[in-house]
Amino acid sequence: MASLHKHGISKWIASSPPVAWTVRQLRELLIGALRQGPIPQHVAFVMDGNRRFAREQHIETVEGHNMGFEALARILEVCYKAGVKVVTIYAFSIENFKRSKHEVDALMAMAKLKLLQLSEHGALLDRYGAAIRILGQRNLVKPDVIEAIDKAVAMTAHNKRTILNVCFPYTSRDEITTAVKSTVEQYSTPIDTVQTPSKRTFSESHITQHIRKQMVGEDKDGPPAQDHSRSASPAAKSIGDSNSSATSTAINSSEKGDVPSPGPSYLDAETISIETLNNNMLTAGAPPLDLLVRTSGVERLSDFMLWQSHENTSIVFLKALWPEFDLWNFLPVLVEWQWQKKKLQEQQRSRGIKNE
Amino acid sequence: MAAATGITKKEEVAFRHGTLNGKQLSAKDREALFRAHLPPEPQPSSHSPTSSSSSSPSASKRARNQAPKTGRIRSLLHFLIYQTISLLFSVFFRFRRSWRLFWYKIRAVMRHHHHSPEWIVNDVKNLEQLPKHVSVVLDYHEDDQDQGTAGLEGLVNDVCEIAAWTASAGIPFLSVYEPTGVLKNYHTQTYAAIQQTLENYFGSRRRPTLTVKAPHMTSYSPPGTPSSEPTENGSTTSRPHLTVLLLSELDGRDTIVDLTVTLAQMAQKGDVRVEQIDANLIDAELNDHVSTEPDLLILFSPTVVLRGYPPWQLRLTEIFHLPDNKGVNYQVFLQALKRFGKAQFRVGK
Repeated sequence: MASLHKHGISKWIASSPPVAWTVRQLRELLIGALRQGPIPQHVAFVMDGNRRFAREQHIETVEGHNMGFEALARILEVCYKAGVKVVTIYAFSIENFKRSKHEVDALMAMAKLKLLQLSEHGALLDRYGAAIRILGQRNLVKPDVIEAIDKAVAMTAHNKRTILNVCFPYTSRDEITTAVKSTVEQYSTPIDTVQTPSKRTFSESHITQHIRKQMVGEDKDGPPAQDHSRSASPAAKSIGDSNSSATSTAINSSEKGDVPSPGPSYLDAETISIETLNNNMLTAGAPPLDLLVRTSGVERLSDFMLWQSHENTSIVFLKALWPEFDLWNFLPVLVEWQWQKKKLQEQQRSRGIKNE
Repeated sequence: MAAATGITKKEEVAFRHGTLNGKQLSAKDREALFRAHLPPEPQPSSHSPTSSSSSSPSASKRARNQAPKTGRIRSLLHFLIYQTISLLFSVFFRFRRSWRLFWYKIRAVMRHHHHSPEWIVNDVKNLEQLPKHVSVVLDYHEDDQDQGTAGLEGLVNDVCEIAAWTASAGIPFLSVYEPTGVLKNYHTQTYAAIQQTLENYFGSRRRPTLTVKAPHMTSYSPPGTPSSEPTENGSTTSRPHLTVLLLSELDGRDTIVDLTVTLAQMAQKGDVRVEQIDANLIDAELNDHVSTEPDLLILFSPTVVLRGYPPWQLRLTEIFHLPDNKGVNYQVFLQALKRFGKAQFRVGK
């Protein structure tokens, strides 16, 4: 790979306006040509190699990240012009907070600056029709950066054509954990509380609750006289153990709920499916991940898109470092993806014929 | 490479530092700068066809006459370029595949393991580090023309060979992922077959002890072979032990769903609070009931496609495949160990 400082003349020629114009036209043509074939709907990038690039070019780490951002802008242009619907990028891992404070601060400042600059050009963003979404643990980010995030997200929220998912501070395990948690929360919130509380002061269920308490209190060893053993157990337990956390929820809900059934009722947990978890992932609603590209030759997922990329995603590891990543590295990847896709379709077709 | 971005020097500096000729750029200046790079205004044809035509009827008419002509030429050009690129790359991909397969064959002949653990030990002895837990992804072909590994027999064969290589290299844990889970139905047969292969490799005296297990099943290490059996001179042998774990598609996303169902039911009963659920809990549960995180995942497929591999476990796993390779062979295994020997691990750094 040519060093930045060498080849000054060729670089000068390449960046002279007429050559630059020609190259740009060529790029447009190639991207237009790519559109003729199948295009992945959802592409994810692990932007790896900024720091190594900086080391190799003897520039500051922060400058490496800066050039990485330029590479991102270039590649986003390629993706959206080629017809990719959703691009997900791994901008910052929760683990990245372990890096030097100087670097983390610089990265945060850069994110803030770029997001603020972005929000200055709302009308232009609409041309791409891209909505920005930030996936990750917001509470780990400083408030001023959050503000910039919210501004950019709000500005682009109305765009429907394409989506840019920025994973910032993100890890996949954290995402899965959050999805499991919110699913559990959803299914352990009594449905009754959703209904409007009754205006009457007295509720039937409250009265039955009291009667039941008295009964259980008189005869502690006897089983609670109920058919719903599951929902009854917290109430029964509450006599012996007043600290039980479930007690309060059980009684509260029946107070508000005013339904004939004793205790709170829940959504059936058995109906939780892969789809339920999918909908609780941060990428909910996005098409399945078709292509995941990781630069800088590291062949690991590093806690990124584990849930999403586990099935039919083509995972591609490239040797190029992220700041030098461009259409010319991405083109072979896309063409190979198209080629494999076509082969797969042919196989399926021939198998279909065989089965008939 | 920098040559091909199609951005002039002035624009590059402006983009990188936000300055033009030493002056700080305002939002308006920036817009003027990159106006040329923008895609055309989105066509409002679908939702508001009237608004654009009413504003300047003559201009839109001209544009309408001109657009189809240039548009048609452009799309023809695109079509031609696309076909050319597809053709060229198709030739290139095929050629590259043959070339790679040729080299793999050469290497396979040059560095065969000869079914002897000593050769394999020799192959791996210079590596800086070995994985403690290796995982492989295998395919169950009901009928396969170009490979000799069709059906269950072929699959079991593959598992046996890989188990023998793993044991020879001194790696104590092997997990075998096969989406359909057919191996789990032939637990004891698989055990016997692996046992037999290990005996062929090591001989009956030095054969490593073996456990074959699968999630939600009792592990299988039959009574005939206790893990430490006394030898003639009375001392217990320090035979290595190999654990083979059989995984299927059900141990992936479905298991996480199962865990969620259980947690939801517990939460409904009040046995667990939502705040108590965290990554450590899920990790511990999945480690105990399915599998721990493998250090190295070896794919024998031509491309990296995970085919439903348990997602949680793949966090930092090194993923290895030989491009264009198809089918199980020792070279892939060896190359994977060599790559792993060199890999360095940095969490987040």
